Amino acid sequence: MNKVIAIVRKELWQYFFSPIAYIVLASFVLINSFVFYIVLAAMSKAASPPISPMALLFGGTFFFWLLLIVMIPVLTMRLGAEERKSGTIETLLTAPVSDFEIVIGKFLSSFLFYLLAWALTLVYVFILKSYDNVDFGPILSGYLGVILIGAFFISIGIWATMISRNQIVAAIISFSVMAIMVGMTFFSFILGSEKKELIQSIDLLAIMENFSKGVIDTRNVIYLLTGTVLFLALSVKSLEARRWQ
Amino acid sequence: MLKAQELTKLYGSKKGVENINFSVEKGEIVGFLGPNGAGKTTTMRLITGYLYPNEGDVYIEGHSIIENPSKAREFIGYLPESNPLYEDLKVKEYLEFRGRIKGLKGKKLQQKMDEVAQKTEITDVIGKLIGNCSKGYRQRIGIADALINDPPLLILDEPTQGLDPAQIYHIRELIKSLSEGHTVILSTHILSEVEAICSKVLLIHKGKIHFDGSLEEMKSALRGRTQIKVTLLCPEYKGAELLSQIHNIEKFAVEKSEEEKQCAFTIEGKEGVDVREEIFWKCFETKIPLLEIYSVKRTLEEAFLKMVSEEEENQ
Repeated sequence: MNKVIAIVRKELWQYFFSPIAYIVLASFVLINSFVFYIVLAAMSKAASPPISPMALLFGGTFFFWLLLIVMIPVLTMRLGAEERKSGTIETLLTAPVSDFEIVIGKFLSSFLFYLLAWALTLVYVFILKSYDNVDFGPILSGYLGVILIGAFFISIGIWATMISRNQIVAAIISFSVMAIMVGMTFFSFILGSEKKELIQSIDLLAIMENFSKGVIDTRNVIYLLTGTVLFLALSVKSLEARRWQ
Repeated sequence: MLKAQELTKLYGSKKGVENINFSVEKGEIVGFLGPNGAGKTTTMRLITGYLYPNEGDVYIEGHSIIENPSKAREFIGYLPESNPLYEDLKVKEYLEFRGRIKGLKGKKLQQKMDEVAQKTEITDVIGKLIGNCSKGYRQRIGIADALINDPPLLILDEPTQGLDPAQIYHIRELIKSLSEGHTVILSTHILSEVEAICSKVLLIHKGKIHFDGSLEEMKSALRGRTQIKVTLLCPEYKGAELLSQIHNIEKFAVEKSEEEKQCAFTIEGKEGVDVREEIFWKCFETKIPLLEIYSVKRTLEEAFLKMVSEEEENQ
């Protein structure tokens, strides 16, 4: 565990040493505040539908998904590709640390960064609370959804960066995989109704809608967790595979 | 300490190294010698577990690098060929990170960091960004990393590559000082480096080990017999007649002499015999003036190149 913490510390340090951390955080806050403002402004009109503004923040708008599938590749692209390009992977892989510990360390570093970004949105909850009664149930489940989807997407990003030598390539791979995952919802248009249920259980838009309404469906939780574990396992395997090359 | 058993590594269908066998005992400084592209780095990567062999295995203190990699790697401090470092970390942060992933923590970590910084003389740059350090310092930082958890076995891949002569001298001195208390394997394509530091030599060429023995053994194996050159003040046929009377001469060849009335020869004596004295007395007896006599020692470099090129001709 100490070794994992050492890797997390180093990665976080490198995030904040480069401008990437500040740019990602700044654009995250900017876009989310913009969405929050628009939502609030629209809701303050009398004829607005009775939806919680936080629900819209959690996957209710196009911006949520855009942020996720752009921000996560940017966060993860460096983690493996940079080590390979600069050659530091050689010192890392010959240290007495397992491939699993390396992958988990890298995963946790971007996951913590992601959590930090979302922690900033707690401000909106306090703002809402000062104006109105807030139902905390959907907000909590919404955050749970954000955390689980984040973990899933970050594991995709980690896998992409572990198989590439070039950061941009890593970013494009993870962006594409995430875009397809998010785009699953469109499959339900072309598939017959009998297959709709299958698509629905892996349709991230539908899953996030559940979470933001306060519905925690075990199937959704298991799907996201399994996906995370799967991509982390693939990352460990790809590290091991390069030793046999 | 280390045992490499029948290592074969393929890159696609090309052989990186083939059937490599060697062992290293505690306290030895082993020089891994070979021209560029001979398979030195591949071998280093195989024994550190960065690459796994297609066949064979490596045992470090009895632990297989494939079956039990984390344990086996605890015994190794490794400086890779290009000495890759994180440019955006400070030296201190880098050593701290490396110490932690090698299982050190707390006071012990601080103590070890101070110790290796002093040993490798990088205390001046400890607060600097690695990206701003000179090549000589970077090499020391790499060695400091290799030393931080005090591993019994140090594996250094071309530790003096790209350094200026003063830096090379300092790094060699450092490696020599490390040999007390560490077993060292270093690779190089520079023979004088092996002569300066190593007690044992492994000669590798085209992915195979061609020699495995002590430095002295390698020197005699490479040099072969000593050649003697003489210049006499007499016609060529007379000189040849004189030399053929000396039984201890194995063979001789006529050289082009630089001046008229002189003749020059290259002579090879029988093994283990110095024929210079006999030549002198023979000249004295026959009253042929001996203008020059000297033995030619092939440098290791020449001998090494000759061996390599002979191999290529044979293939």
